[in-house]
Amino acid sequence: MVRKTLSSRSPIKTLEKNITGGVGPGKLGVFASRKGVGKTACLVQIALDRLLEEKPVIHVSYASRVDYIISWYEEIFKNLSTRENLKSAMEVHDRIIRHRVIMNFRQEGMPAAQVLKSLEALLGPGNFPARTIIVDGFNFYLPCREDLELFKKFAVEHQLEIWLSCSLKGEDPLFDENGVPFILKDYLKIIDIIITLEHFQGKVKLHLVKDHQQLPGKKLRLQLDPQTLLLARD
Amino acid sequence: MERTIERMRNIGISAHIDSGKTTLTERILYYCKKIHRIHEVKGKDGGGATMDYMDLERERGITITSATTNVSWKDYSINIIDTPGHVDFTIEVERSLRVLDGAILVLCSVGGVQSQTLTVDKQLKRYKVPALAFINKLDRIGANPYKVKDQINDKLGRRAALVQIPIGLEDRFQGVVDLIKMKAVYFDGANGEIVREEEIPPELEDEAWQYREELLDAVSLFSDELTEAILEDRVTEEILLQAIRKGTISREFMPIFLGSAYRNKGVQPLLDGVVNFLPNPAEVENIALDLDDQEKQIVLRPDPQGSCVAYAFKLEDGPYGQLTYIRIYQGRINRGDELFNSRSKQKFKVGRVVRMHADHMEDIEGAIAGDIIALFGVDCASGDTICAPGLNYAMTSIYVPEPVISLAIEAVDKISADRLARALNRFTKEDPTFRVYIDPESKQTIIQGMGELHLDVYIERMKREYKVEVTTGRPQVAYREAITTRADFDYTHKKQTGGAGQYGRVIGYLEPFEGNYEFVNEVKGGHIPREFIPSCDKGFQACLKKGQLIGSPVIGVRVVLTDGQYHPVDSSDIAFQMAAQGAFKQAYKKAKPQILEPIMRVVVETPSEFSGNVFGSLNQRRGIIVSSVEDGTYSRIEAEVPLSEMFGYSTVLRSMTQGKAEFTMEFLKYGRVPANIAEQLMEEYRKKVEQDNKN
Repeated sequence: MVRKTLSSRSPIKTLEKNITGGVGPGKLGVFASRKGVGKTACLVQIALDRLLEEKPVIHVSYASRVDYIISWYEEIFKNLSTRENLKSAMEVHDRIIRHRVIMNFRQEGMPAAQVLKSLEALLGPGNFPARTIIVDGFNFYLPCREDLELFKKFAVEHQLEIWLSCSLKGEDPLFDENGVPFILKDYLKIIDIIITLEHFQGKVKLHLVKDHQQLPGKKLRLQLDPQTLLLARD
Repeated sequence: MERTIERMRNIGISAHIDSGKTTLTERILYYCKKIHRIHEVKGKDGGGATMDYMDLERERGITITSATTNVSWKDYSINIIDTPGHVDFTIEVERSLRVLDGAILVLCSVGGVQSQTLTVDKQLKRYKVPALAFINKLDRIGANPYKVKDQINDKLGRRAALVQIPIGLEDRFQGVVDLIKMKAVYFDGANGEIVREEEIPPELEDEAWQYREELLDAVSLFSDELTEAILEDRVTEEILLQAIRKGTISREFMPIFLGSAYRNKGVQPLLDGVVNFLPNPAEVENIALDLDDQEKQIVLRPDPQGSCVAYAFKLEDGPYGQLTYIRIYQGRINRGDELFNSRSKQKFKVGRVVRMHADHMEDIEGAIAGDIIALFGVDCASGDTICAPGLNYAMTSIYVPEPVISLAIEAVDKISADRLARALNRFTKEDPTFRVYIDPESKQTIIQGMGELHLDVYIERMKREYKVEVTTGRPQVAYREAITTRADFDYTHKKQTGGAGQYGRVIGYLEPFEGNYEFVNEVKGGHIPREFIPSCDKGFQACLKKGQLIGSPVIGVRVVLTDGQYHPVDSSDIAFQMAAQGAFKQAYKKAKPQILEPIMRVVVETPSEFSGNVFGSLNQRRGIIVSSVEDGTYSRIEAEVPLSEMFGYSTVLRSMTQGKAEFTMEFLKYGRVPANIAEQLMEEYRKKVEQDNKN
C-alpha cells in the first residue's frame, strides 16, 4: 500500500499527464542535457516509480560501474523516502530492487544489436518480465541511427517503454529555436519524447520539446531539486 | 649460506584454478635446483607436479593443501607457500595468506581476470599482502597480455603496469623485453635454463619505450628521486627498481611480469622480481595480542634475539607423525627449546626442527624470526600461537566464517567407525571451517562446511587417507528461525508436588533484534532477586538452540525482562530457568516467527552467448539477478540465490555452457524462506519429530 501511494503521488505521474498519450509501451523517451545536470537522477526516478508499482525494470548502463549505479538508486530512494516520510524505507527498498536488473556494457560503442541480444536473453530464457528499460550513457555522438531504430523496434516488439539519456556536448548553441537539441534533430522520427533539462536561477527546469508528433516547447512545471536531485512540481 | 632476514622472502602463489600455478611452481623449483626433472601437471609422465603431493589433488589436477617449500635464488632464501585456487577451500588460502609477506598473482593471458581471480585478489587485499602479477600462458592462442593488464587495473582496481613486454605471442612467443634494463631476454637450453640478454629487436623499440613511459608514469608517484630523474632524463636501473619496490611494498602498485611457465619462458625474471620487489619479513608489520593485558596489541620485532613468538598455520600427517608448520615472527626456535602454546596453555619441548622441501625434509638446528619451518610431534591445532615461556600472546585471530551446509555421515562398519573418528579429529584440527557434531536426537554424525565441494573433498580424503567407507545423507542447509514482531510474556513456573517446590514468574517481552541475541534486565524493586537474573538469561538462551518451527537455531531476538515474582523458599536457579523457557515458548509463536535460509552471492562468468541460459538457471533457482556486466565476449552475472537451490549447480552450469562457464559463491545473508517452502519444511520437521517420538 505504501508503495502504491508513494508511486501515485510521484511527480513522474505529473510528467506523464503532461505528455499526450503517456509514455507507454513501444515508446522511446530521451532526457537531454549537458553532463551533470541531472539526467541520471531523472532516469532513476522513472525506474523507481515503476519499481514501486512492482513493475520490473532493466537498467542498462554503458560506462558506470555497477556499484555506482546501485548507489544512485539508494541515494535517490533515501531522499524520496525522507521527503515522503516513508517508514521502514530500507525494507521497502530491498523489496523493490528485487525487480531490477542492472546490465552493464563496458566496451565503448557496444553495438545495439549485441545489447539487445543480451536483453532478449534476460527477457526470454531469463524469464525476467521487464516492462521498462532504462538506458544510461548511450553515445548519440557516434553514428547511431541504426542503433536507435533497433531500440525502437525492440520496444514495439516487446511492448516496452525505453528511456535514454543523451549527454550534450560542444559549444553553444546546443538547441534550435524550438528547444530541440541539434544532435537529436535527425532522430525525431524515431524518438517519441524529448525532455531537456536546463539550469535556471539555481533550479533545474524540465522542458518537453518533443511529444509524439508535436514540438510543443512546453514548460513542464517540473523541476529538479539540486540538493536532493528529486523531481518536484513547481 | 647464512640466513639473514634481509635475504628472506615468504611468498605465496595465488591464482585462479587452471591458470598454470602448479606448472609455475614446478619451474621455480627446477630453476632453483630443488628438483632435477620437470614433471607436468596431471601426471602425463606418471610423476605429477612436486607441490601437488596429495593423491586426490593429483587426480583432479588441482592443489588443495598448502605445502610449503624452501628454495634459494641468488643468495636469497625463499619460502614458497602453495595456496589452493578453489574458492571452496578458502580457509586454506586465508591461513596461508596470514603467514605470507608477498604473493605472485598468476593470471591466464587468455582468460584474464575471472571471478576466482577477484576472490583471490580480495583475499590479498584483506590480508594486506603486496603482490606481483604474472601473466602466464603467452604461448596460447588468443593470448593478450595488454587486455589482461587493463583488466587488472579496471576489474581489480589496482594501479598496475607492465615491467616487460612480449616478444611475439601465441606460437611465436619467444621471450620478453625487460622495460627496466631495456634489454630483450631469451630463454635457451632444453629447459629454458640459460637466460640470454640481447638488444631489443628494432621493430619492438617504439613499443618498449611507450610502455616504459607508462611504467615510469605509474611509479614516479612513489619516488621523488625518480620524478627528478625523469625530468632530467637520467633514470637509472637502480632508481627505477627502488621506486617499483617502494610502490609494491606499500601495495599501491603492482608490477606485471609475463611468460609461459609451460614453455619455460619468463620464470627467472619473475624470481628476480620476487627478491627485488617483494618485502623481506622485517618490512612487514605483524601484531600479536597480549592475553595477559586485555588483548593489547603488541607490534612484534623481527629480531632473532627477542623472545619467541610463532604461529602454527598448518598441520600435516606425515609418515613420521604430526608435522606442524610454523612461521616465526619474533626471536628464534632451536631444537631443545621449551615453548608455550597460548591456546592450550601447555608447555612443550621442541624435538626435531625441519625445513621442508617439496619432496624431502632437511633436519636443522633452528631458525630465526621471519622463517617458516616445521616441527615434529607438537600437539596443537592450526591457528595456535607458540611463544617463549613468560609470554602469553595470540596472533590476531584469523577470520573464520560460519559453516553453511551440513551432511549426515555414517561409517559402513565397525572398523571404519574407529578410523572415521580419527579422520574427523584430524580434519577439524586442520580446518576450522570444517566442523563435526553428533545430532542429539538422531545420534547421527553431522559434518559441516563451506560448500558442497568442501565436504566432498573431505569424504574423498576419508576414503583415501583413512580407508573409511561412509554413506552420506542429503546435504542440509543451515536454516535459522527469527521472530518478526514484538510479543509479551507472563509465565509462572510452579511445581509443588512433594519435596522442595519450584517457583518463578517472569514478565517481559521478545522483540526482533539486529544481532543474534540480547538480554536486557529491567526488573525493578528486586521482584526477581539479582542472583536469579542470570538463570533467566540461561533459560532463554537454551530455547534459542532449537526453534519451534523446524528445530533450527533462533537468531535476532532481544529478550527484555521487565518484572517477575519469586518465592522465598521455592525459587531457585532451575525454577527461573524453567520459567524463562516456558515464557519463551509462550511468546515465540505470538512473535510471528519465520524461517530463514542462507542466501549466497553467486557470480557466474560465462561467454555471453550462454547468458540467457545462465539467467534462466538462476531464475529457476529462486535467484535474484543483481547485475550483468558484459565485457566483449564475456559476461559476469551476479545474483543472490538461496543455498538450498545451488546443490549440483556446477554440473548444470557445465553442461549448459559446454564447460565454458564457471561460478563462485559465498555466504551473503540470511533471507526469508517463501511461504510454500516454509510449509514444506515444517511438515518435514513434524514428521521427523513424530518418528523420533515413536522410536
